[in-house]
Amino acid sequence: MLTKRQLALAAAVLLASLLAMNLAVIYLTRYSLPRRVTRHARESQPAAVLALGNSLVAAGFDETAFDTGASLSPPHGAANLGLGASSPVEQLLLFRYALARGMRPRLVVYGFYDFQLTAPNQFATGDLIGNRAMLYYVEPFFARRFYTLSFHDALQFRAMYAVPMLADRGAIWAKVEILRRAIAEQGMPPQRINRMGRAADFSLLESDNPEDFRRESEASMNLPLAAPVNELFREAQDAGVTIAVVEMPMRRAHRQLFYDTGWWPPYVTHVRSLLAPYHVIYFDASNWIQDDSLFDDPLHLSPRGAAQFSRRLGSLLGPGTADLPAPSGPLL
Amino acid sequence: MSRFAWCQNLLEYLAGEKDAPPPGFPVALSNFTFWGIWWGILAAIIFIFAGQSSKFIYIDF
Repeated sequence: MLTKRQLALAAAVLLASLLAMNLAVIYLTRYSLPRRVTRHARESQPAAVLALGNSLVAAGFDETAFDTGASLSPPHGAANLGLGASSPVEQLLLFRYALARGMRPRLVVYGFYDFQLTAPNQFATGDLIGNRAMLYYVEPFFARRFYTLSFHDALQFRAMYAVPMLADRGAIWAKVEILRRAIAEQGMPPQRINRMGRAADFSLLESDNPEDFRRESEASMNLPLAAPVNELFREAQDAGVTIAVVEMPMRRAHRQLFYDTGWWPPYVTHVRSLLAPYHVIYFDASNWIQDDSLFDDPLHLSPRGAAQFSRRLGSLLGPGTADLPAPSGPLL
Repeated sequence: MSRFAWCQNLLEYLAGEKDAPPPGFPVALSNFTFWGIWWGILAAIIFIFAGQSSKFIYIDF
């Protein structure tokens, strides 16, 4: 039987092991995607244009092509801070992070799809893995104002945010998941993957059918802008930054099933009325890419598609657009 | 003792069910360094494999 002293000493060794594991997690996650994006923000201080959004922007906004279209040249061109699997809360944090590190963009390009601008941000701690783990370590308590957690999850969040093993657990689990997928694929035909994940998985992020989309459209018709979107645009406006809001390019099937129905235009009108106080430039780019082969998966543009979209966006915004007072003009 | 029974005794000792190690196993209960590291290894295994119920759509390749 262990004596009390032996138990206490063994517990001390266990604590030392846990400390070592936390250091290992810090080391293993030093190049995690949110950290790479924040580093890109630090390195892009002179950029004049900042692209923000989720994976559609991360994959779909080509900095070089945009610069070519807008006749900008690095380092005074565009910086893509799009982050896959991010909500507007993380996008707000990235914008604030860039400003706090000295970036002074003249223009923010904010890409969205479906109901992202108005969807309430209600999370559980189980959602805060992967790229959303940045909610634990980039202005965690400022960000808490813009999403809701249950009482239980809020307590968990407070306990977890300072422990790297818990805050960045998703990055380690992702490595295990990749290993699990590799083992599961033994003797099977390989599944198509891209830089974001398994291509087929992204169809899970679309509405199941037009009826679901109709219901969501109707439910969203009375919603205000999501709190982090509102804050992002307010802070951009306060900083004198022009805002361009872009409906990101979608595949033909998505447009036909959802955007070409009678429910989407009233929602867009609603959103545009919500955006009016910010004098945003609004682009409906959802149909700019007609060729579905320029998409890598059900949601994301391929590099060729991204170049085509970004060049066109850049040419429409032009080198001087960001210096002008932003119009609240018609759909482009 | 058969090899199988020895392994069973070892696992029971490591899991804390028995206080005495099987014959020939060199680690006594008083070896707090071993037990602290062993519990750390168990914690690491739990930590690493605790995410298997998470649905990974986006994954950083």
